[in-house]
Amino acid sequence: MKIVIAGAGEVGSHLAKLLSNEEQEIIILDDDQDRLNALDAKYNLMTMTGNPATFQTLREASVGICDLFIGVMPSEARNMLACSIAKILGAKRTVARIEGYGFMNPENRPYVMEMGVDRVIYPEYLAAQQIHTALEHTWVRQWFEILNGEIIVVGVRIRDNAKMSGMQLKDFAFAHRNFHVSAIKRGHETLIPRGDDVLMPDDILYITTRRDHANDLLEMTGKVQHRIKRILIMGASKIAIRVADMCKDEYKITVIDKSREVCENLPMRCPYFTDIFCGDARDIDTLKEVGLQNYDAFIALTDSSEANILACLTARDAGVKKVVAEVEDIQFINQAEGLGIGTVINKKLLASSTIFQLLLDSDASTSKCLALTDAEVAELEVKPGSKITHALVKDLKLSRDMTLAGLIRDGQGMLVTGMTQIQAGDHVVVFCLSGSIHKVERLFS
Amino acid sequence: MGIFDNVRRINFAMVFKIVGWLLMIEAAFMAVPAIVAVFWQGPDCIEICCCSAFTCLFGYCLNRMIHPQHNTLSKREGFLLTALIWIVFSLFGMLPFLFSTTPLNIVDAFFEAICGFTTTGCSSYPLLDELGPGLTLWRALMQWIGGMGIILFTLAVVPMLNHAGGMQMFNAEVTGITHEKTKPRISSTAKSLWTVYIVLTILCILLLWAGPMDLFESICHAFGTMSTGGFSTSNDGLAYWSSSYIDIVVTVFMFLGGANFTMIVFAASGQWARAKRNHTLKVYVYIILSSYALITLGLLCQNLVNDWQDATIFPLFQVMAGITSTGYTLSSLPLWSPFCIAILLPLIFMGACAGSTSGGCKIDRIVVLGKYVANSVRTALMPNKVTSVVIDRRVLAPDLVQKSIAFLLLYCIVICGGALLLTPFNIPVSDSLFTALSCVSNSGISPSSLGMATDMAALPGAAKLLLGLLMLIGRLEIFTIIILFTPSFWRK
Repeated sequence: MKIVIAGAGEVGSHLAKLLSNEEQEIIILDDDQDRLNALDAKYNLMTMTGNPATFQTLREASVGICDLFIGVMPSEARNMLACSIAKILGAKRTVARIEGYGFMNPENRPYVMEMGVDRVIYPEYLAAQQIHTALEHTWVRQWFEILNGEIIVVGVRIRDNAKMSGMQLKDFAFAHRNFHVSAIKRGHETLIPRGDDVLMPDDILYITTRRDHANDLLEMTGKVQHRIKRILIMGASKIAIRVADMCKDEYKITVIDKSREVCENLPMRCPYFTDIFCGDARDIDTLKEVGLQNYDAFIALTDSSEANILACLTARDAGVKKVVAEVEDIQFINQAEGLGIGTVINKKLLASSTIFQLLLDSDASTSKCLALTDAEVAELEVKPGSKITHALVKDLKLSRDMTLAGLIRDGQGMLVTGMTQIQAGDHVVVFCLSGSIHKVERLFS
Repeated sequence: MGIFDNVRRINFAMVFKIVGWLLMIEAAFMAVPAIVAVFWQGPDCIEICCCSAFTCLFGYCLNRMIHPQHNTLSKREGFLLTALIWIVFSLFGMLPFLFSTTPLNIVDAFFEAICGFTTTGCSSYPLLDELGPGLTLWRALMQWIGGMGIILFTLAVVPMLNHAGGMQMFNAEVTGITHEKTKPRISSTAKSLWTVYIVLTILCILLLWAGPMDLFESICHAFGTMSTGGFSTSNDGLAYWSSSYIDIVVTVFMFLGGANFTMIVFAASGQWARAKRNHTLKVYVYIILSSYALITLGLLCQNLVNDWQDATIFPLFQVMAGITSTGYTLSSLPLWSPFCIAILLPLIFMGACAGSTSGGCKIDRIVVLGKYVANSVRTALMPNKVTSVVIDRRVLAPDLVQKSIAFLLLYCIVICGGALLLTPFNIPVSDSLFTALSCVSNSGISPSSLGMATDMAALPGAAKLLLGLLMLIGRLEIFTIIILFTPSFWRK
């Protein structure tokens, strides 16, 4: 696929690296030569200097023949403008990153479409959604529902007290037919397990199951579900406001921010915070004043990944049951997870999951996608005649870096085993390691 | 297990595995002259077939028997692989010369192969006309592969290299200051460049065939011309046919071989404007025209012009053969006045556009130097004036300017150093300077064709090995080779 990315900022560069490793044809545009040089030297892609929101640059990048145009510049207005121009020049699909709910609102959708923007990415909204799920299911690290929860993918770290730790996967699978261990994250590596792999303490397991069995996992992994009532958020960022907006009826939310000016204006931007404190959440005295021990959840959302991780560790020591940290540096995610931070939010991964959806499925509204640090989980609809329907799963000779976890047939969820025959119209949940999306694409087309 | 494990050591296993792959590709190329030799029942058919089979077997074993722990290729492996592949290709490429019915000794055979791959085009064979068709074709084919680049070819056909490591190799092999891509993925860029190269070569073959040459000779000469190599099928070179038609065709295609292929791709895909505003291309044309005018003037003053060809085709042909580093020479060259010869020297030094098949230090860098010097002069007069090197409406980053100038200096040092090392072989100073220049710039003009005493092909073995190294340094634009000699490259 030919993909043009406008804006080589954090999200743009991340997408460019990712997609270039997926063997897509990438052209990345930016007006800052220095940013592009770093990408050009290391990755298999083409860079072009120029203002991406102009006809001239977009023509030079031959946007007219591209399959996907992604606008991820810092400014929402420029992204919309660039997408609009790209659409006029003939780009097949356009995606713009936005900063406010307005462009996402279904009421305004026809107008946004008319402007030439097929889809919007709103990372802050996705992050808020992820936080919302994390607060509902405090015992998991990832909770990914497909088709109204018919199939659920759960990411959970197991400890010594888990019944399954130390078991060989084939024994586990034999004893528990309702669960499919689809991926294991061990240290810095994600792997697709085989039958003789052993489930070890401290692994993060990605387990696929059906709705009615999800709660059995609680007992099996030795976890406890906590009920959350009061939340403390550090950093009055855009995500914080979206979270407050989304969870206003369920939880009491307190926010703490360093800047007095931001705190004072906050009620105007979002009226749903119960209390607003001004101060540094890393400072013990401030935390005592706020009464950290009285909160059930602590969410750190400042710009600094390091501060977020440290604040979360302090909160956990103080007895807060659920901690969530925003970690924007991808290389820190593994460290943060290793330190025991329950849920990690990363806007780049959220944005890339949207892009993967678009890559995998031309009709993205029917599918969902979840990007992990070095793997993706995707829900795909099986088209008639595609390769995957040709044989039983065990005879498909699937590549070792992917696995089929579950499927939904006629609204009914089931797990995939070697004896499953995939049929056209099924929705299949696929786990694949980074760099193998194109193999999946081939199987399903 | 950490994320840094794979960066610490050089991944030799992967490097050799890929070398194995590439050797199989070389074997496939070698099969072409083998088939031709068998078809024509030439003298060396069995020998070339054996060489090809051996190369293929060796490559296959190397590829199959090595199992690298991981398949990452970082910058170091990229440089190492690029340099190594040129040497290994020459080593296996010399096999047919070693075992043919008219065998060369091992140094001469290696010299012949490296002359071919680096498109220097200086031959050790005393009697070319007696060579079998298989060997003749192999000599031509070597230049043709080397002209566009071994790595570039493999990038186009081997999907395994189509990732970040392949990028590194592309940058290490393709000539020029910056490397403009025509397509987002490196493999498609390589494919488009090779397509243009192949199309131009076929065109050249057809045009030459239409003249007095037969098909086989036109193929060999087209390979030598497009790659700006300069091997011929006859000891007399093109003078053997003494046809102005052939001279004109060869001149035109030498010109194209010296132009930036990326620009030809743009022009071919309808983006004329982009090719037309390329500054280097304009300078290339200006330099050719002005040198031609000066040389013709010199020849007129010298009374060397006897008929119309002496004033039109011949000087232009010689200018083109010099600037594109093809290294064809006119038989009347020794008669030229020192002034006319002196005009050829900077042309040989300079070479043609970056991203072409020609050698030399590339006009692009000379343009950068010129603009930089002009800027320096201006700022000396007006210290507050802000200047930057602008090429094709884009500002060239200061570090690239520095790198270009450092390259030019290094280029001169390599030539002088090479000349110094040649003098112990009792070669006169002027001859050794010219020989070193001719090798580093991949031009391959022997001092004897300018009327000097030394014949490059008749030098002792040790001197030839030195010349081979100089050619390799010149072809891979110095840094790729020099970097292998730095301790920090090998340090863990």
